[in-house]
Amino acid sequence: MKTKLLLPNYLKRVGWVILVPSTLLGLFIMIFDYKFRFLNATVFTFYSGAWMEKPHFLTLVKANLTDTITGILFLIGAILVAFSKEKREDEFIAGVRLESLLWATYINYGVLIFCFIFFYEFEFLFVMIFNMFTILIFFIIRFYYMLYRANKSLSHEK
Amino acid sequence: MKNNLKVERAIKNITQEELAAVIGVSRQAVNSIELGKYVPSTVLALKLSKFFNKPVNDIFFLEEAD
Repeated sequence: MKTKLLLPNYLKRVGWVILVPSTLLGLFIMIFDYKFRFLNATVFTFYSGAWMEKPHFLTLVKANLTDTITGILFLIGAILVAFSKEKREDEFIAGVRLESLLWATYINYGVLIFCFIFFYEFEFLFVMIFNMFTILIFFIIRFYYMLYRANKSLSHEK
Repeated sequence: MKNNLKVERAIKNITQEELAAVIGVSRQAVNSIELGKYVPSTVLALKLSKFFNKPVNDIFFLEEAD
């Protein structure tokens, strides 16, 4: 079956190798607010103007890259895991994939609406940080659960 | 939609895995079709029809609800 936008199957394994450690690292740096000192750097930014300072556009700022790198690694890992082809990708799996994506989108924004109502101010910032990643997480959980169920029903048949 | 894929498969004495390999889909797809959980595309239905050497209408049937 022709599947244009999906990644090759071998990238799924690469994805898991990136996703698992970056998830653990991400949780660790979130919970303990940890920063690696060696990741302090001067970086280019499009806009800098927090904390009542004069705004600057297209400028250099000092920043710590712990969150940046962990976040990017997580996203790359999650996208590889989510959108690499299955060993035998076919129209049935494409259907499961599409349905899981729709489901994940509903759940993701359902949770966000809930959080809009029940979290305010600084606490909402945490919600936003999690929400950047949750749509992929929900998709991965749902998609692999549906494939697991399809596999399970195989054991009853010959 | 109902189908008698399982019966056709029994007549040909071929497993889900073998049939899946012949028509180029996953075994989960064949199983889901047999269980009535998945309605195959026209292309897949025609491939099955070709393999069993029977018209599509002899393998798949519309139900009242369709």
